[in-house]
Order: sequence, then C-alpha cells, then structure tokens
Amino acid sequence: MTLTRADFVGVMRNAVSGLGLAPDAAMVTFPIEMFLPGSDIAPVEARKQEFYDGLTRWSLVQANGGAASAMVSVQGATFEDALARANHMVLANQWGDGLPVWPATRARVDWILQGTPLPREHVLGTFPPRGGVATVELCAIALVMAGGRPEYLPVLVAAVDAFLTPESGSEQLQAASGSAFPVVIVNGPIGPQIRLNSGFGCLGPDPQHPAGASIGRALRLMQQNVGGALPGVGTMANYGGLRYTNVVFSEDEGNLPAGWTPHGTERHGFPPGTSSISLAFANGATNIRRRGAKKETPEEDALQGMHRMADFMRVPNLAGLAGYERGTPGILMIPGVVAETMTRLGWTKRSMREFLWGHSRIPAEDLRRAGGHAWIEIDASAVTRASAALDPWPITAKADNFILIVAGGGHPTNSYWLQGYSPGVVGREIRVSSHFPRLLAEAEQDLTGR
Amino acid sequence: MTTLEFYDPCGRLEVRQPHAPRLDTLAGKRLGFVSNEQWQAFRMLPLLKALLERDFADIEVLPISAFPQGNALIGNEETAAEVKRSGVDAVIIGNAA
Repeated sequence: MTLTRADFVGVMRNAVSGLGLAPDAAMVTFPIEMFLPGSDIAPVEARKQEFYDGLTRWSLVQANGGAASAMVSVQGATFEDALARANHMVLANQWGDGLPVWPATRARVDWILQGTPLPREHVLGTFPPRGGVATVELCAIALVMAGGRPEYLPVLVAAVDAFLTPESGSEQLQAASGSAFPVVIVNGPIGPQIRLNSGFGCLGPDPQHPAGASIGRALRLMQQNVGGALPGVGTMANYGGLRYTNVVFSEDEGNLPAGWTPHGTERHGFPPGTSSISLAFANGATNIRRRGAKKETPEEDALQGMHRMADFMRVPNLAGLAGYERGTPGILMIPGVVAETMTRLGWTKRSMREFLWGHSRIPAEDLRRAGGHAWIEIDASAVTRASAALDPWPITAKADNFILIVAGGGHPTNSYWLQGYSPGVVGREIRVSSHFPRLLAEAEQDLTGR
Repeated sequence: MTTLEFYDPCGRLEVRQPHAPRLDTLAGKRLGFVSNEQWQAFRMLPLLKALLERDFADIEVLPISAFPQGNALIGNEETAAEVKRSGVDAVIIGNAA
C-alpha cells in the first residue's frame, strides 16, 4: 500500500495498471500541504487505522480497463449536430485536447491504416504509465482525431515504437512534473514527401506543411488516452508546454553542408537516405539570437554566436540530468545558411559540439549556491554522480550527447534550443506500405488541388 | 437523424497479475517500508513505523533504510527482488506526491 498525495491518485492508478495489475491500489491520501517542509504530520497518526486497513482489508473495486476497439455513437438532427455531439462526448470522456477532433469512424480509420504495412492489431507495446496496449489501430484512431492522413501514419508508428522503448525514459517522463514533451526528428525522403516542415516555422502550425502538427497531436492524444497522461490526474506536468502538438519536424537535409551527415545517420547509424525518426524529450524551447549586430567579421560573428548559445546552456536548472550519461542536454537547431557559413569558416559539427560542451560548464560555486550538487548526488547513474566532483561541471557527460540539427528558415539571425529532458535518444526506421506512392499522389491532389 | 459511430481511443489494459492478498492481521507480521526519501517521507514513515510497533506488540517492522531508497532505486527489479528476499509480509511505499 502507499502513502499518497490526494491529487496523485490518478498517477498511482496508472502506475499500478502499468505493472499489469488491475488499476487501483490501497492508498492513504493527504493534501499537498502534508508533503511540504515543516508540515504538521499529525494526520498520519489520526488516520493510522486507514493504513492498517489498507494492509488487511482493502479490496479492488475499480473495474478492468475495457475491451479493445470499443465503439461509441452519437446521434444528431444533422451531420453538423452529430459532429458537435461527438466532440462533446470526446471532452466529457476526457479523450480530447480541447480543440475540435475528427471522430475516428471505421471508414476514416481504415483509410489511415493504408499508410502502414503493419496489421491493425499489431502491438507496439504498452503505453506508460497506465499500460494501455498500444496497437497500430490505436495509432490510426489518434491520427484520425488529430486531423491526420494515411501517409503520416508510418512516422507516428515509428515514433510510438520509439516512445515505448524503455531507453526513451517515457515511463517516468509521462507522469513526472517536469513537463517533458517528445521531440520527433525525421530524416530521409519521407519528410518532404509528406510535407513535414524543415524550414521557416518548422516548430509551429503551417498550412503548407500540416503533417508535423497532426502527427505530434496524435502522439499527444495517445500519451493521454492510451498512456493515461491526463493533466493533473495521470501526469503531474506543472505546465505541459508544447503539448498540443509536441514537436515533429524534419531535418533540412537539402541544406546540410558538405561533410555533415544527417542526424539519423550520425546518432543512430541509419544509412543516408533512410527514412527514420529520432525521438528525444525536451522541456524547454527558446530562441537564441545568434547573429552579430554591427561590423563583426565573419569569424567574430560565428564565435560570438557560439558563445551566446553556450552561455545560454550554462544554467544550473539541471534539466540535462535526466539524460546526462546517455541522453541529451538538448537539441540545438541552426538554419542551413548558418551551418554552411560555419563550415566555410572551418567549424565542423564535432568542433561545434566540443565548443558547446566546453563553454557551457558551470563553475562549482554557481552549482553549489543553487543546490545543484544534491540533485547530482542522488542521480541513478554512477557516471552522473561522479560528475559532482568536476569543476566546472559539464552539463552532460560527453560532447556527442548534444544534438545538432540543421533546420529552420534560411535566415542567419537565430538558432533554437530545445532544452533536453531525455534519458535516451531512440531511433527507428520508418516503414511505409505498398500503397505509399498512391497515397502521396492523393495527398498532392487533396492538399494543393492539383 | 444522423448517427456517428466512432472508436473509443483508449484501447485496452492487460491485467497480468493479481494484487497481493491482504493480511489477516498485522499481529506477528513482518513489515517493511520502501521510501523515495522525498516529500517528508523521512518524517512520516518513521512515525508510521513507531505507530505500528506501538499498536501491534509482536510485529516486526524493518528499519526505513532496510531497502534501497530514492526515486531512482525503488522502482527497479533489484529492489523488488531484495524486498522479496527479506521475507516481509507487506510493505508500505511512500511518499507519492
């Protein structure tokens, strides 16, 4: 049995069902005030009998989790009326995200399923923390709700597969308070084929490139509906930033400078030209002004920009601890025009990473006054714990942990930092169905009118 | 009248193991704590231990530190195996906040 905060009951039920038990447990709950420093803990004694009963008398009352592929229905006087009622039902059942959804009808789900070679009942894993069984069909259902198309499904399936890998850290991050969101970086030809954005506005909505928002929204809906990450109930994410669409974009491979390998090749070893995804978690997204303002030489402009980026990373907020040893401290996005200029000036991907690693180190005194050492010392990783002795303290165990991506609009002023909160970075190859050429042709017709 | 039939997006759960049976009594039993050392567990769990020992004279309650502590350790298989090896009849886990 557990001693639990009252608002944490949903998290506990998710955790229990994620272990393969029926989704409930013996709990004695208290309000948050009890769990804060200096609190009055007398209620523990006052309610001791509840603990004793939890060990001797508790019994399961919550029903099991329901059948696969359950259907629901609504009726309306007109189609518009039925659609409105369907959206009301979605919200009433806590299946949506507040924006309108497309009801996942059989016809629509069957259409979406054409995008994958996998059978609809194929199980990708159990979605933490609730432990819902994640099938290809559920991916299609979520993608319908998110306004997606069949050619997006292979990317979503690969992302879900990566998400459910223990190495990703999703089991903890789904429920944790740190407001982590998945970042899906796509490499290979599928990016431009399905209109994933790699250029201007690649992290935001774009009618010219609608794929990223739909895929990311579908992933988020699965996190909530299959994984149980309902805000304040199944996930304690304080803020939940970027959770409407998560982050899904493709690397701007067409503008990789000579000698720069695609991210999927460099980090995961996929042959160049392979369609793949790379999944990491982040919990921050910030623009960094990279370009100089006056009469800098090209060399000064490059160096100042590198310092500005490294200085921004040199903060003792400890987000990078989650992926200190094997994950990433973050994803730095630079436009192709900047990558090209840096290369011309003699910088390489490796030298940029080494610079960022060296110059983002935090003096021990700064770390100490911020209480950083205590967090480092309780980390599960021995490598991380050992790093507490280093002065200055590197924000990640090695330079290669930094993810450096060429993406964003062709303009040199800004770079973008997705602060990592990512125990691992997981890659997956994307597999498409034999219908794919036809689906792309239909998308061309549907989305351009040509 | 228009009917829209659509999928419940939550899918199914698989129950693969039953909950542990409850004890008939705490008298004469051996209990343990699994602590994440967070959220005032260092105060609440010792209080609970003292209450159990006071209310059930022949109970054996292991020290709070008997098993690995901290969020990073309490959920892993090694800790679960250690708890099983210890022969405790039940554990109280805290603090989930």
